Amino acid sequence: MAENSGTDPAVNTNADENAAKGGTIIMVTVKTPKDKEEIAISEDSSVAQFKEEISKRFKAKQDQLVLIFAGKILKDGDTLNQHGIKDGLTVHLVIKTSPKASGGSTSQASAPSPGVSSSNRSTAGAGNPPPASTANQSQGTGPSAAPAQPGNLLSGFGDLSNLAGLGMGSSNFMELQQQMQRQLMSNPEMLSQIMENPLVQNMMSNPDLMRQMIMANPQMQQLMERNPEISHMLNNPELMRQTMELARNPAMMQEMMRNQDRALSNLESIPGGYNALRRMYTDIQEPMFSAAREQFGNNPFSALGGSPDGSGAQPSRTENREPLPNPWGPSESSTTENRGAGSTATTTTTTSTSGSTPSVSNPLGVGSATVGNGIFNSPGMQSLMQQISENPQLMQNMLSAPYMRSMMQSLAQNPEIASQTPPASAPTSTPAAGANPSQQQLIQQMLQMFAGGSQSTQTPEVRFQQQLEQLSAMGFINREANLQALIATGGDINAAIERLLGSQPS
Amino acid sequence: SAAAADVPRNFRLLEELEEGQKGVGDGTVSWGLEDDEDMTLTRWRGMIIGPPRTIYENRMYSLKVECGPRYPETPPFVRFVTKINLNGVHNSNGVVDTRAVSALAKWQNSYSIRVVLQELRRLMMCKENMKLPQPPEGQIYTN
Repeated sequence: MAENSGTDPAVNTNADENAAKGGTIIMVTVKTPKDKEEIAISEDSSVAQFKEEISKRFKAKQDQLVLIFAGKILKDGDTLNQHGIKDGLTVHLVIKTSPKASGGSTSQASAPSPGVSSSNRSTAGAGNPPPASTANQSQGTGPSAAPAQPGNLLSGFGDLSNLAGLGMGSSNFMELQQQMQRQLMSNPEMLSQIMENPLVQNMMSNPDLMRQMIMANPQMQQLMERNPEISHMLNNPELMRQTMELARNPAMMQEMMRNQDRALSNLESIPGGYNALRRMYTDIQEPMFSAAREQFGNNPFSALGGSPDGSGAQPSRTENREPLPNPWGPSESSTTENRGAGSTATTTTTTSTSGSTPSVSNPLGVGSATVGNGIFNSPGMQSLMQQISENPQLMQNMLSAPYMRSMMQSLAQNPEIASQTPPASAPTSTPAAGANPSQQQLIQQMLQMFAGGSQSTQTPEVRFQQQLEQLSAMGFINREANLQALIATGGDINAAIERLLGSQPS
Repeated sequence: SAAAADVPRNFRLLEELEEGQKGVGDGTVSWGLEDDEDMTLTRWRGMIIGPPRTIYENRMYSLKVECGPRYPETPPFVRFVTKINLNGVHNSNGVVDTRAVSALAKWQNSYSIRVVLQELRRLMMCKENMKLPQPPEGQIYTN
């Protein structure tokens, strides 16, 4: 006999309440700018009933939902029928942050356009728990202002985190972020999903915006005070852009990490250097790491990047991290001391480069909190060294990175920074490099060499002026030979002296 | 003659109707017939979701679009229903200035209602527009 198509309540188990209202069940696609769900609903339903289903699926409150079909807003009292909503059609959904109709509140906590009211909004997102529990929830239309905290950054990025936060009923912004972080830690795919989201990418490709957000974070501001390099970096749009690109591209990051790992294992074979590096890193790594950690709270990405002590996953987000130029010049087989000193210097250089934040190349700490971890891993740095010695091309790459160059230059010109940074970043222990004046000098010289070497703005004579004077005061009167030795050793006086002595048959 | 253009016109508009109902596009604009019984397929409604990171964020802008008898050879007539402060939109009545919107100014018959709506949305993201102070949400033009 004729049966109602699909209206038998016993059959439609998952659409019971809908079936009870009579009418066929239809599948309607509900689409937000970043999400899409198919919802089963009775075709006779009212818009209010439809919203009920939607609110469950999208984990948003019913009064936050705005439905649009064929250019019209669906009012609660309307029926689906009256708008012609049938099986297989698509309804657009906008989830508002608050049901109020005022423009300010509905758009709050979303990443604002740079300047203007950005401070207002980004502060809301920056970790000051806003009064409304849902204040940091952005609808599907935009990421919330996220400060440098990785968790914060990501928690803004879309329905996932926000809705989850809603679901958990937490009224505390920080709590939500924590939860978000935990979720992320357990699910790296979520991260890459988030990263791939065009909205995220949009936001990330806007360096001004990113900078605003970062600067709005009080913790970040503290960091910036301690380490002027960070503000330098933040002010460099080129750098930000590169950072963002890397943040966006998990594949590239993984690539970096793999390279690091490889180089790591190779580096162990360098005689003497390994131990020196190991020491260096342990001295510098721990204090920095804990300093960074306390600033950024839990590092949600440590899980992503591998444990801090282990894999040495060093996603140096920017290729620049890897190819530090070979500080020992052409003579690869120079003395251990040389190498040790050079490694130290390089280490410290990198350390200073890292600006004692988890990641210099990625001040945001997004995804590159692992970078920070990696940097502090002995294995990570070792891989760097190895790569340097193995692959001159890397050096080229690094030097060609615009910001790297300017970073080097500014560091070179301002040796105070270089010498300040290690102590600043390792308040609880003295980094060996920082404490050792001769090594400090070496660092400076190296920096000068990096900066100078990439652009040749200074002749070796100028750069090694001081060393030349010292050498001649010591009795090495052959200026030419002195200069050559200095160049070969990268400005290391002791090593240069050895060279000179060793080659003094005449 | 006008009759000869009707079939392709209606066919085309029916296609646009279907696309509107199926949510073709990125979900930031929506369009459909004002009145489902309108056999002439002339009067349409559009909706633009204000783009993020602009002053228009999270607002929904309702529009009226009129596709004349010579559509798609001629561009549609577009006006905002929801009040908006946007360059190219008359402050008094929400009418969109054809010269200000390149999709309308340089209309091609391959364009569609969706194209026009999307361009208006893009205009909201322009530097010159994205921070313009806006009237309170929910107000509409009355004339």
